[in-house]
Amino acid sequence: MKEQHEGIVEDIWRFFSSMKLGLILLGLVALVAGIGTVFPQVNLDPQGAKAVSELWQTLGFTNIYGSTLFRLLMGLLCINLIVCSIQRFQGIYHQTFALKPPENITSVPNKIQAKLKGEREPLKNSVQDLLQRNGFKVTSQEIDKDWSFIAIKRRLGNWGSLISHISFVVLVIGAILGTTMGFKGFMMPSAGTTVPLSSLNLSKGTVKQDFDVHIYSAEDRFLENGDRDNWYTDMAIIENGQEVLRQTISVNHPLTYQGVTFYQASFANGARLTVDLKDQKIPVVLQDHGGNYFQAPGTDLYLIAAAIKSDPKEPAMLYQVYRGTGVDPVQKGQINLGQTIDVQGEYKLTLEGNAGFTGLQVKEDPGVTVIWLGCALLLLGLILSFYWRTVVVSGVFKSGQDSNGELTIGARAGKVTGGLQQEFDRLIQGIQSKREGAL
Amino acid sequence: MNQGLQNLETSSFYIMLMAYTLSMLFYWAWIGTKKDLMGRFATYLTIVGLVANTAAIILRMIIAGRPPLSNAYEFLLTFVWGITSVYLFVEFRYKLKALGAFVMPISFMILMFIIMSMGAEERIAQSIPPALKSKWITFHVVTAMFSYGAFAISFGLGIMYLLKLSRETNGKTAKSQAQGIISRFPDLETIDELSYKVIGFAFPLLTLCIITGAIWANYAWGTYWSWDPKETWSLITWIIYAAYLHARLMYGWKGKRAAWMTIFGFAAVLFTFFGVNYFLPGLHSYAVSQNILIV
Ligand code: HEM
Repeated sequence: MKEQHEGIVEDIWRFFSSMKLGLILLGLVALVAGIGTVFPQVNLDPQGAKAVSELWQTLGFTNIYGSTLFRLLMGLLCINLIVCSIQRFQGIYHQTFALKPPENITSVPNKIQAKLKGEREPLKNSVQDLLQRNGFKVTSQEIDKDWSFIAIKRRLGNWGSLISHISFVVLVIGAILGTTMGFKGFMMPSAGTTVPLSSLNLSKGTVKQDFDVHIYSAEDRFLENGDRDNWYTDMAIIENGQEVLRQTISVNHPLTYQGVTFYQASFANGARLTVDLKDQKIPVVLQDHGGNYFQAPGTDLYLIAAAIKSDPKEPAMLYQVYRGTGVDPVQKGQINLGQTIDVQGEYKLTLEGNAGFTGLQVKEDPGVTVIWLGCALLLLGLILSFYWRTVVVSGVFKSGQDSNGELTIGARAGKVTGGLQQEFDRLIQGIQSKREGAL
Repeated sequence: MNQGLQNLETSSFYIMLMAYTLSMLFYWAWIGTKKDLMGRFATYLTIVGLVANTAAIILRMIIAGRPPLSNAYEFLLTFVWGITSVYLFVEFRYKLKALGAFVMPISFMILMFIIMSMGAEERIAQSIPPALKSKWITFHVVTAMFSYGAFAISFGLGIMYLLKLSRETNGKTAKSQAQGIISRFPDLETIDELSYKVIGFAFPLLTLCIITGAIWANYAWGTYWSWDPKETWSLITWIIYAAYLHARLMYGWKGKRAAWMTIFGFAAVLFTFFGVNYFLPGLHSYAVSQNILIV
């Protein structure tokens, strides 16, 4: 019974340690990912995704990267990679740090090989010396009158593929942290306002941090040639009424505080107004194209900015006033800088100037650091694998009758052998010229 | 001054176009006639083309005041630069002139694509949105340039391999003109090994290209990966080459199968650029500009 049980565990282990499974999984990931580019995806194109026939939507084709199938594939790939790595760890360790000199000539690599005749001690010294000067770490052993050695250079190259495999698992962990923790939201405050972080319009997660954001200014700046320079937001973090940090952000230059990052995402023009309502003065900021509205307290009048001219010298606003649920404006017109107009006899409205609305994407993603770690490991692994190839040289010296004998020396490298021959030939030449010099 | 530079840029483009076109013809003439002079002309013309190509890119950078990556035209220009420079390196390092006959047509076709499908207004320097103003994009494009260039070379090697293989298997009976041409190719194993080396060079670079793209996207939008079709296809390309490396290492997929994989992989490279832009529907708002970038 027990044996059978172990058999199953072993079978599962074998199943997951196979590279064939790895290749199949990679192929499936590529296939499913490819299918996802044919269908509009919910996260990128919500309208497009809704337009796709319901059948596809139900089957998950419009949210393929978040589908159970896709996650399952990624999960299996990770298990596969972990099992593979565990399996290979010991082997790589032995091939790197526990190298044993060959016992006899048959264990010397024979594809790239040479034979050197000579006296035992001088030959041994020159071989060891030259290898060491070429950056090899040499281990040797003596058996009676024979001696053998093994030397390794660029040892870390052996670890490249293992590191790149683990890095993939790290990346997946980072992605999981990103989807399960943290939050994502959007806010569009106007210049001059202070808003609590909790007022975010969240699309994912919940906000635990408790601080306010004050917007000093929001600007849409242009270059001399008329091209847009960037959007800038001069903003501050307010904690318990105290300003703790102030910085100007722009697209590509976000601000991070307590793990929360503010990205400049968009911008809208706005107008700064004062409403004079029965001796009560209320500051109001309206966003261009009816982005928001103002309802004067005690009235059913709704005021919007239909269009704003943001020229700092002569700002102006086209306004519209609606009553109740009425579809047509009851009053509309233009208001210029400093001008005061009367709105339906209920209040007075003055245009004070411009005010930008800054669109801030706000995110907390504790997985990002893990992602960058994974990326760094992936790159490190690949660089070690492909640009830092381990070279192993080994040899056996067999003595003849006197102190003379023959050294069989060979080399091998992981994967590609091209170029190794030249390196090996140079080594042999070096050894020979060293001995000639010594004579 | 700007108009002068503009004219210079246009001239560079046409010099490059002529030089690359002629060099392609001379490489063909060289493998056909075996005349050394033809071969020398071919190489010189490629160098002239690369100089003009470099000039066109640098002039564009001066005119626009930013790296050349705001539209498809600029990226294709750097793509061709990557192909040619990696090719020239391989020609000199491995004395492999015959490869030019298979690589230069790729550059030529890309340039033809520019001429036929892009109007003048698509080729001029355009202003770029704030999101594209990031130093990461420069790394992103430089790595794309070299890795895509190298993948194009491995594609050329794959074609050479398959041609030579098919001649060697059925060529004994038909001792044709082509037989002579093919005999100028290095032996199959050399082609195959070189192709692996080139991919070994390009794969880490493609990885770096995708990573720098992710870093930039994270700065710009706070999302390092959004499964946009461009990103997804670059991942698929990456998976194809990863599969190539594994199959080769573990199952000894060399020779014919490996050659087919290089062709398949380069098809994915091209699709990532052209296919996604021209065939796949439904992209979100910033994709129009982002598209060009996650190449
Ligand atoms: C997920 C993406 C993967 C990446 C990026 C990756 C990357 C690599 C790289 C770069 C190499 C070295 C290849 C070479 O030198 O030619 C390698 C080798 C290898 N990979 Fe992967 N791999 C992945 C998935 C897998 C999977 C799923 C398995 C199997 C379960 C696997 C098993 C192996 C094995 C056994 C080797 C041979 C290592 C050696 O002897 O050097 N890999 N991999």
